[in-house]
Formats: sequence, C-alpha cells, structure tokens
Amino acid sequence: MWLPLVGLVIGIFLGLLTEISIPEEYSNYLSIAVLAAFDTLFGGIRAHLQNIYDEKVFVSGFFFNIMLAASLAFLGVHLGVDLYLAAVFAFGVRLFQNIAVIRRILLTKWSTNKEKIEKN
Amino acid sequence: MDKPKNLSFTLIAAVVGFMIAIQFQTVKKPEERDTRDVWQLREALLKEKELQSNLLSEIRSNEEKLSAYESKRKQSKEQALRDTLKELKTEAGLTEVSGPGITLHIEPVIEDVQLGTPVATTVVSPELLKRLLNELNMYEAKYVSIDGQRIINTTVIRDINRETKIDGHTIRTLPVEVKVGVDSMNNAEKLSNQMKVSKARDEFFAESLRLNVSSPSPNITVPAYENPIRIRHMEPIKEGGGS
Repeated sequence: MWLPLVGLVIGIFLGLLTEISIPEEYSNYLSIAVLAAFDTLFGGIRAHLQNIYDEKVFVSGFFFNIMLAASLAFLGVHLGVDLYLAAVFAFGVRLFQNIAVIRRILLTKWSTNKEKIEKN
Repeated sequence: MDKPKNLSFTLIAAVVGFMIAIQFQTVKKPEERDTRDVWQLREALLKEKELQSNLLSEIRSNEEKLSAYESKRKQSKEQALRDTLKELKTEAGLTEVSGPGITLHIEPVIEDVQLGTPVATTVVSPELLKRLLNELNMYEAKYVSIDGQRIINTTVIRDINRETKIDGHTIRTLPVEVKVGVDSMNNAEKLSNQMKVSKARDEFFAESLRLNVSSPSPNITVPAYENPIRIRHMEPIKEGGGS
C-alpha cells in the first residue's frame, strides 16, 4: 500500500533534482497531462478499493488519457479555441467524483471496522 | 494487492511525481515580486537621486579639469608650434583643403573629331597646362589640383616620351578635372568670370580642347600633395652660433 506513495515521492525528488524546466509555451500541455495522470491515478485507487481493478485498463488509461489531453490542447491552440478547458473540466469532474467515491468507501470501511470493534 | 499490480502503480506514481515536479519548476520561475510599499520606494528613489547628483557633480568637476587642461595647453609653446606647423603644412600643400572655388573641365571638342580618323592621342600638352596654371595664379588661385594631383611650388609639368606628366603622374584620358580653391566666395566668382573670358580658352581650342568653367561653388575639396617633399638646398641654422 505504501509503495505507490514512495514512488510518487521518488518521482518528485527526481524531478526537483534534475532541475528540468520546459519552455513556457509547453507548460499548458504539461499541466493538462498532469491532470490526466492524476485522474488516472485516483481512478486506479478507486477501482482497487472497489475490487474492479484491471492492470491493462489502468496502464492504457494512463497513457491514453495523457495523449488525448495533450492532443486536445494542441488542437485548441491551433483552432484558436481553448479546448484544453474541456479536458480540464472533464478531468476535474472525474477527479472529484473519484475522490468522493474513495472517501465514501473509506468511510464505510472505517464505520464497519468500528462496528466490528464495538461488537467485539 | 499482488506484486505486479503494485509495481505498475508505483511506476506510474513516480512518473506522475516527475511530471508534477517539472511543472512546479516551470511555473515557479518568475518568482521575485516587488513587495515594497510607498515609503520604501521613496527611500530607494531618494538613494538613486543622490547617486545621480553625485555622478553629475563628478562629471562637472571632470569637465572643469578638462577645460583647465585645454586652456593650459592652448597657452603653451607646444601648441603655438603645432599651430605654426599646421599653417606651414597647409601653405606647402600637404593638407587637403576645402573651401570656395571653381572646377574646370578640359574636354575634347567633339565637333572637331572627324569620322574615321582617330581621336588625338596626346591629351594636353604641358605647355598648355603651364599657361593655364600661370593664368590661374594671376587671378589669385590659392590651391590647384589637376587630375587629382595637387600643384605645389615645386611641381613640375613636363613631357616625357610624349606623355604629359605632373610630378610623375601621367595624364592619360580626357576629360581632365582641374580644381581651383580660393579664399572667399567673392574671389571664386571673380575667378570664374575671368576664366570664362580668358585667353586660355582660345589656346585650348586651338589644340582641339575645350575648357569648361564651372560656376563658383562654396565647397570644393583640393586633395593634399601625396609625394614627400625633398629639400636639397636648404639647411637649418645651427643654434647658438650667434648672428
């Protein structure tokens, strides 16, 4: 359970250590990609908690979502429409939903645990 | 959660972390915000103004020094010598001179050239040039150049192997430009008028040449004498010899 967290920390650490910074024009794409990655991550956690986790779905969803978001942003830039807002909206909503589901599951788990303890 | 599941999760979490870190660094860059309030700004402004006034006073003192040096230099002997040297050089024709003057053009007479016969090859005879120079000097010409060659006191104009040479410079092609500089615009006008009615034109015409006299111009540049001046029969007086 702690391994993913450790991975996250390692990733952040590596990123900060390498001191890579991308040009200003592309920061839009990266932010969208980060959002998509977050969405996938939380989706994965939720699926795991609901016991419907599928590795293939998770990994493919990760890359596919990132690519879709980046290409949407790219298309938006070239069409003169802020299409990346669509991606932000979609991912934002899904993020909230996922987190809400995770919270409820954790809550129910917690209360059932408590009841069990009380029964005992 | 068995192992491979966990592994991919971890990897993807690391990638996400990496992306977040990069994004963070990219966004963080324009940090430095000016958070000074009005009084701090005023203080800074005051400081800068003080610096400015300091710099200004420094500039002023330097300029004063400079002018002091300049006046000292002007009064010194060295400067007097320099001035004399410059004057002498100008008189000797070693400097480029620009001022009022006229330009003369020596051209072949086109009407005189007959079809089928070659155009005369001898351009201008030295005698003609000498006469022209004498005439110019008579009318108070100060600086003269012929075909870009400055005429000075020791200039020789002569015929060497049927070529007209001015101090070693050969006049090959027509038209030849003669630049004449004088003291003032008034003199330039006089000179122009006198040259227009002078005998020299007739003498040139007799040799199938036409002398065109330009109207006086306020700015004519007469080039400097290019060759070194050799002095053979003059010696400086030895100092302390008494007189």
